[in-house]
Amino acid sequence: MSDAGIWLAAIGTLAIFSFLYRDNPAYRAAEQILVGLSVGYLVVITVRTTLVPKVALPILDGDPWGIVAAVWVLLMWTRVSTRAGWLSRLPLAVIVGAGAGLSIPAMLKARVLSQLGAVIRPEIDVNAVVGAIGVLATLSYFYFTRPPTGAFRVAARTGTWFLMVFFGATFGYTIMSRLSLLIGRTEFLLGDWLGLL
Amino acid sequence: MNLAQIDRRWIFVIVFLAVALPLLFPIGLVGEVSPRTQTMHDLIEALPRGATVIISFDCEAASWPEIGPVAEALVEHTMQRGIRIIGTSFLSEGTALGFELLSRHADAADYVQGRDWVYLGFRPQYVAAILGLGESITQEYPRDYINQPSEDHTLLGAVRSYRDVALVISIADDTMPQYWIEYAGARYGVKIAAGLSAVMVTTFTPYLDSGQLQALIGGLKGAAEYERLLGREGAGSRGMDAQSSAHLAIIVLVIIGNVAYFRGRGRS
Repeated sequence: MSDAGIWLAAIGTLAIFSFLYRDNPAYRAAEQILVGLSVGYLVVITVRTTLVPKVALPILDGDPWGIVAAVWVLLMWTRVSTRAGWLSRLPLAVIVGAGAGLSIPAMLKARVLSQLGAVIRPEIDVNAVVGAIGVLATLSYFYFTRPPTGAFRVAARTGTWFLMVFFGATFGYTIMSRLSLLIGRTEFLLGDWLGLL
Repeated sequence: MNLAQIDRRWIFVIVFLAVALPLLFPIGLVGEVSPRTQTMHDLIEALPRGATVIISFDCEAASWPEIGPVAEALVEHTMQRGIRIIGTSFLSEGTALGFELLSRHADAADYVQGRDWVYLGFRPQYVAAILGLGESITQEYPRDYINQPSEDHTLLGAVRSYRDVALVISIADDTMPQYWIEYAGARYGVKIAAGLSAVMVTTFTPYLDSGQLQALIGGLKGAAEYERLLGREGAGSRGMDAQSSAHLAIIVLVIIGNVAYFRGRGRS
């Protein structure tokens, strides 16, 4: 990174950190620059890496699929018109239909069946037993059809303990994750910017 | 003094000092390599020389301080092993970061672009793109990130789809590995591994246990462990002192906060 780049990054980092003291114009400016740059970059990269090679170049090459794609894109934009807005439902219907058709079997297999298969496994060890109890207890906590009484109440209460363990582990990892970001920026400020490391 | 009334900005100062001081005056804490990180290392170590992996940079710039060291370690090891790399990205900000990282390591490892590595770049609508890679890589990406026709690359002449790919590694700060598992793993049978930000580890551990995810390493700690396996010190290792002292500071603050809370409740 050039010296100017390091200074810009350092000023941006300090402007964002200044929010920890109190909200201020420097923080808001840095925040808006970040959002603007992110959106601008997304637009440019989408045009350059997707719209040009997948739509513009095929049209120039006389590929009819490029024209179909372009028409499909333009139909989406008819939403801005009150008279022709209904046309946008055509590509949306295809996106929703194809999306549901593709994702339902994939999600059912990956998120439900394979995960369930991992719980109901033939070899029995401590992990398998704890995992099975955890799944059943947690599911019983989310079973709202009948009031939790008797053994069902015990299972639901056990489920809350498993949930607490999960939330605790996730919170711990979240702190670790956020600290890693702080470490990265501090290392940049002390090392790349101030040259103290 | 009522601890509950302390200005929270003092907490920020304490946490900052807990991070900055160990960076300025390193302690040199050495952690053990966890079985999870060892599994990831063994997975790449077991790939034959000349095999091809897809490395997808599914992360935003904001999380790069954490996820970057993970990506560095994985790419370095993959290139050390002589494994060919196809790079992709399904989040726009990760695209340039991934290209810069791969280019830098490729130069160091004498990897030839087009023959040993290719960077396909960004694609929106990641579900369609993940599925498209399973049918034909060159059709899904007619041109690579630097606008070269994909068909011109010898690597993509030999590697046509997931059938020719040994492993997919998603470098992710969010749920993108889930889509790789669902649409590439479950549908095409390709092996999936993930380098994750720490916050996502608990989300993906069940997939590791069920075998849908072959391996995962998480956060700066995972990167530090992986650097240790590679026999070098990097950003992950350097950050471990700071992370440990900051954790200690937070634990002390949590204890103080609870003591203050219960004392205050007792009085009321």
